[in-house]
Amino acid sequence: MLHGETGGMFDKAINWAKNLVNSSGRSSASGLSFINTFARFREILAINNQSLELIADANDKLSGEYIFDTHYIETTCIKISSLVEKLIYALDEMAPGKYLALHDAFNRIHYDIEDILAGRQPRSENRLIIPYSDINRDMGDEVGGKNATLAQVGNFMGIRIPDGFAATAVAFARYMEQDRLGEKIKQITDSWENDEIDSATASSRIQPLILAAKIPTDLRAEISAAAAAIKKRQGKKKIFFAVRSSAWGEDSEHSFAGQYSSILNVPASKLGEAYKKVIASAYSASALEYRRRIGYTEKEVIMPVGFQQMLNPMCSGVLYTYDPVAPAKEVMIATSTWGLGAPVVSGTAAVDEFYMEREPPHKVVQTKITAKLQALVQAENGGTKVIDIPENRQMISSLTKEQLSELADTGLLIEKNFRKPQDIEFGFTHEGELTILQTRPLALKSFNAPSASELAAIKDRYKVIKEHCGTTAQDGIATGPVHIIHSDDDLKNFPPGAILVTKFASPKLASVLHMAAAVITEVGSVTGHLATVAREYRVPALFNCENITTTLREGQEITLDAEEPAIYEGVVKELKYYALSEEEIGETYEYRLLRRVLKKIEPLNLVDPTEKNFRPEACQTLHDIIRFVHEKAVQTIVDQGYYHPHDPDTAAGKLKLGVPMDLVVIDIGGGLAEDIETGKKAIIKPEQVRSVPMKALIQGIINPKAWTNEPVPVDMGSFMSSLTRTFSAEITSPRELGQNLAVISLEYANVSLRLGYHFTMIDTYISDNMNDNYAYFRFFGGVTDDARRARRARFIGAVLSHYDFRIDLHGDLVVARLKKLDKEAMLKRVYLLGLLIGVTRQLDVRMVNEQRVKEYTQNLIELLEDGYGKQQN
Amino acid sequence: MENNKISILILDDEPIVSKRLKPSLEKKGYLVETFTESEAALKRVKEKKFDIVITDLKMEGLSGMEFLTEVKKLYPDTEVIVITGFATMDTAKESFQKGIFDFLAKPFKLGEITAVIQRAEEKIRNNSQS
Repeated sequence: MLHGETGGMFDKAINWAKNLVNSSGRSSASGLSFINTFARFREILAINNQSLELIADANDKLSGEYIFDTHYIETTCIKISSLVEKLIYALDEMAPGKYLALHDAFNRIHYDIEDILAGRQPRSENRLIIPYSDINRDMGDEVGGKNATLAQVGNFMGIRIPDGFAATAVAFARYMEQDRLGEKIKQITDSWENDEIDSATASSRIQPLILAAKIPTDLRAEISAAAAAIKKRQGKKKIFFAVRSSAWGEDSEHSFAGQYSSILNVPASKLGEAYKKVIASAYSASALEYRRRIGYTEKEVIMPVGFQQMLNPMCSGVLYTYDPVAPAKEVMIATSTWGLGAPVVSGTAAVDEFYMEREPPHKVVQTKITAKLQALVQAENGGTKVIDIPENRQMISSLTKEQLSELADTGLLIEKNFRKPQDIEFGFTHEGELTILQTRPLALKSFNAPSASELAAIKDRYKVIKEHCGTTAQDGIATGPVHIIHSDDDLKNFPPGAILVTKFASPKLASVLHMAAAVITEVGSVTGHLATVAREYRVPALFNCENITTTLREGQEITLDAEEPAIYEGVVKELKYYALSEEEIGETYEYRLLRRVLKKIEPLNLVDPTEKNFRPEACQTLHDIIRFVHEKAVQTIVDQGYYHPHDPDTAAGKLKLGVPMDLVVIDIGGGLAEDIETGKKAIIKPEQVRSVPMKALIQGIINPKAWTNEPVPVDMGSFMSSLTRTFSAEITSPRELGQNLAVISLEYANVSLRLGYHFTMIDTYISDNMNDNYAYFRFFGGVTDDARRARRARFIGAVLSHYDFRIDLHGDLVVARLKKLDKEAMLKRVYLLGLLIGVTRQLDVRMVNEQRVKEYTQNLIELLEDGYGKQQN
Repeated sequence: MENNKISILILDDEPIVSKRLKPSLEKKGYLVETFTESEAALKRVKEKKFDIVITDLKMEGLSGMEFLTEVKKLYPDTEVIVITGFATMDTAKESFQKGIFDFLAKPFKLGEITAVIQRAEEKIRNNSQS
């Protein structure tokens, strides 16, 4: 934007303005003149955009479409960090000493990023306890793989899991520091590793040490508090937990199955003891042996622990999403029994067995009902007990057909999200609700997956419906029936596992993306909202695939290879099995690293400047800092140029436009008539504006048709909410009006607008010298849902590209650039930007469907072509 | 060319590069071998001629520039594609002077390198016909 191509021009504009100021007789300023403050402001706008684009690009790298390495991640982090640091310094120059706390916020986030890059736990993330609701799949180091995957299932797939929390790796380290416990254990494991003592002896010496150690007071207190919070949330008088190991490496290719303990039905008062027992189980003789056999070193023993609210199940069991010994049969296997699932997992109980087709509706192909004589159930005051099953229930199937079908659907959903066959522990409550207790990858034996090189010839064997079409927003292979979405109604009852096909990559689709096997659209941006969500869920996504909604039929089975990209008729078994056996690229170190650093960079938490938390201390990410600096920079300019002007070089006043928009104008040279009164109370009339680009812009803004010629909004609710939010901000805080700012000179205008929740920035220079002319426009934000905002962004993009602007769309952010047109052509286009400001003010609420995008584009072009000349005359 | 298939050697000290490229290129019908250490790659090149060599520049030990110089010395008609995260005009110029086929700055899209490889393949097939 203001860097690069127009950067030089900006200097020119400023120098020119300075000269003009000096020659016009207004004496030059002492101290930090307004011109200098404004120069810093422009620098902030430029860096602001540069850093946001770097962040969007970094997210795009997660699509799997790029070859990138850790060097890229490191240099990108350095680039973004140093830009943000520059922002902070530039703001400090504008408002010296006023926002010093930003440095602390920056350092805090920056150190965390450094820690993550160095493979360390971020120093600010030293939590001992984390609730499941705050955990995602990338937090395996912190909370252990089992906790991380289970929380992912609950938080991102809309599947029920027990309420719970994790005691972290940090908590484990703290426990091991207590009374030098870790050191003592190491002495024993050292002599065990040197074969001085056997496993049984080592275990018998270590386990009593662990059980006798004291849990650090703060850890004990945090465990109690977390348990109490769940008790309150669930509205229970008494609450019991399953306390489960979630050690590093558990759930890896070495399953550690059955090596570590789970302790069931623990009352809240005994969680500390259970925690110790689970940790002690890491040093059972068999666990020591197991680790030695698989070559897992003792250093790697790190044991986060999960605390899950105890389920009181009617029946429990295990689901394999493939038959591990005969995957080609395409069946799933469920085993289950009455009561708790522990006997199913350990293989000690008689269980019912069901084989069902993987394909919906999951026809049951084989059932084996066993006499279930006993069941393990919760004991009233904690622990478990075995009860006898009445004779009339022994031979009843422990799962109904409906339950099997729900279980199979859920299993496929989990498998789709982790992109690997799964081994899932589940329970059905007495109310019939399915709850997932654990999931991990299922190792398949004799799985004849083709190698990549065997896939080269599949195009000769299968019918290709389309190839080399579209852009890949997320890599991957998917098979399934086509489900075409024409309207929002089609999103209801989205069939799980279907391939979503639609015209636009609307953010609305995000609500069903976790159920879709893949998404294919005719239009879409790889840096847009839906692309980001597709990458989060790792749903293969192909955008800009021409005519796909008419090429494919509803219900048609297809296979999508988003990498190629290619769409095949039917199920291409080779590709399907290849995808299941291939190492998931999204799980490689580099992808995890990029996701982890982006968590410290990308999310925006500081949205509303009128909210209490809009302050440096509340900044959690670099994006928060970027946003904060931008807001305060605008405020500072308005303060210095309008509310507290001390620079004789500038003149300022409020522009009266005759439309519901107040605008503070600061003139840095020749932009206003010489004879105006300036100051806080000064009112400037449009005809007193001399600035060439500003005049054109104002004419567009005040065109009454831009404000009134729109059809009545269909969706009154949304419209009203937009109005009230827009106006209430203005009424409650008159200062907010000052957020609309124009800094102008004779041939230059820089306009920052915050109308309601929209942010518009225009920067333009127009003179007789064509080569110096440019216009830059940036627009984002809004009050309505992402879908409408994205439509509005597309509308603006369509209009501006029609008039030669170069457009970049990043979600609802529109950046448009134009340069080197002659004066008349530039003025017409800046007039258009003025029209857009009027039209777009509430436009997002009207963008109820795609048809509107076309209508509005056409209307606006007509408005420009009809109105421009006339109004000029 | 073996069985009319184009053979490709990839050398990059960051394993992710080969991990991502290898299956993708194999799927397109290429024969691919990957290396993360330049010495091992050089040893392999001395045993076997590859149609296309893709190499990073900055590596421990023998640098990519030295490696590709050796490759071009051994097999002038092997097409070399340089991929680097430290792209400068100077390194690009030097690489082209050594007769490389193309130069890609990391990160790049799969589609970009595939297009470059396809152009190299065309050239190789044309040469082998003439």
